[in-house]
Amino acid sequence: MSWFNHHTQAMKLVLARMQGNKTSSLLICLVVAVAMCLPGLFYLGVDNLSTLTNHMQDETEISLFLKLDTSNNTITEIDELLAKNSAIKHYRLVSKEDAWKDLQAKSGADSAVKQLNKNPLPDAFFIQAKSVNPAELEALKTELQNIPNVEHALLNSDWAKRLSTLLQLGKEIIFFIAILLAIALLVIIGNTVRMQILTQKDEIEVSKLMGATSSFIRIPFLYAGIFYGLLGGLLAIFMMAMVIGFFNYSTSQISTLYNSDFRLSLFNGHLLLGIISLATFIGWLGAYLAVTRSIASIKIN
Amino acid sequence: MIQFDQVTKRYPGSDEALKNISLNINAGEMAFVIGHSGAGKSTLLKLIAAIERPTSGTVLIANQNISKLKTSAIPFMRRRFGLIFQDHKLLYDRNCFENVILPLRINGVAGNEAGKRVRAALDKVGLLHKEKVMPITLSGGEQQRLAIARAVVSRPSILIADEPTGNLDASYAADIMAIFYAFHQVGVTVIVATHDALGMSASQNRVIHLNQGILTTEGHISKGIPNS
Repeated sequence: MSWFNHHTQAMKLVLARMQGNKTSSLLICLVVAVAMCLPGLFYLGVDNLSTLTNHMQDETEISLFLKLDTSNNTITEIDELLAKNSAIKHYRLVSKEDAWKDLQAKSGADSAVKQLNKNPLPDAFFIQAKSVNPAELEALKTELQNIPNVEHALLNSDWAKRLSTLLQLGKEIIFFIAILLAIALLVIIGNTVRMQILTQKDEIEVSKLMGATSSFIRIPFLYAGIFYGLLGGLLAIFMMAMVIGFFNYSTSQISTLYNSDFRLSLFNGHLLLGIISLATFIGWLGAYLAVTRSIASIKIN
Repeated sequence: MIQFDQVTKRYPGSDEALKNISLNINAGEMAFVIGHSGAGKSTLLKLIAAIERPTSGTVLIANQNISKLKTSAIPFMRRRFGLIFQDHKLLYDRNCFENVILPLRINGVAGNEAGKRVRAALDKVGLLHKEKVMPITLSGGEQQRLAIARAVVSRPSILIADEPTGNLDASYAADIMAIFYAFHQVGVTVIVATHDALGMSASQNRVIHLNQGILTTEGHISKGIPNS
């Protein structure tokens, strides 16, 4: 009970002090918010892009072009082979006649296609694999390439693969930026709490004389750190929501042109929770380090 | 209650503040520590209150050796004492009530019980009507009485006052001394350091006389001011 009282009293005290010092408290929260907001936004951008590329990878096909002189019998054989392959989700055959008709229909009346008097297209299978894993896709591609009479197997997810690797690299860079900013925050919050301790020096000295334990003296300052972190984290999310809203507004037109419904979405529960808890933790840790160092240095006399 | 056995205290870079002091203060006693400034009075009180540790010798408080106390145990030892200083050490950013309640918060007393005890303590020193007042607006004597209220609110068994009347004129000083006597009457051990002997004349009191860190005379006085 007395433990609970002590904590509520410490919280009230800290909130009262923060109210008395609105400007400087707000500035600290703002610093926390900006430092959390930057990597948060980058992460969100990369994360949204990578869901987009994952979506594209779902649609990856392997195109299997047969040799021009392949007979119908051979096509049937390959068809059976594909039907037996357990790695394939589904596939369809586009015969060279169909492809030719399609091409002619799509191209204009006097295009180069019309000038050709012979069908240059091969028969082709378009295959959807069950797996989206790039390595497995690659293996399947090689396997299909080795079927006799196959001229060329083309995996058209190569560029998506490259993009996703780049995005992965982006995530790693963000991770390091976040660590650097976290260290900076730790120092800033620690310094702020240290300044507060100096202004409360008399109280700390008197409390020590009256038999206050270190944890009793420490707790209000720890709450100050926690509140800075928590409010800064909330402010960071608010700022991110503003930036994302603005971004979505200005990209909506481009997205429409590309017939895409791509929008940045803020509502990534893990990220929001992560930002708030990380900011709070950094606030606590910065305060803890500052207060532990400072309390020992305040001598009573 | 308080035992000193061949206690010497030397601060870094200075001469010995206390030399080879042995004394014994019983529970419920009222003792005056007298001597000129620099005689080692404050050092003696700091050793009793576990603010300083002796360079050599042993200080026993309620049979606990101060020098061997763990750092984490010292706060709990200090809660046995009510400390009063010449400069009051009041907190000027809060009102009288908030000043007096601080030791209770440290001791984990809260709610109505704490409020009652704060008012009782303020009442004892005659400041009950000033609980909402900021200490800076009080006179010197009232500030010292507030400091006493704060020292006694957690009902310590030992009251230690370092030059409590140093900055006060005679009538205020007499007020303060009367309050100390009142606590002595109800069984509190009271130790007062003072460079003037004012207010010591009332009754059978223990006198510890220090001169340049040496215990010169020790004993009881019955009447009058000892030669110092």
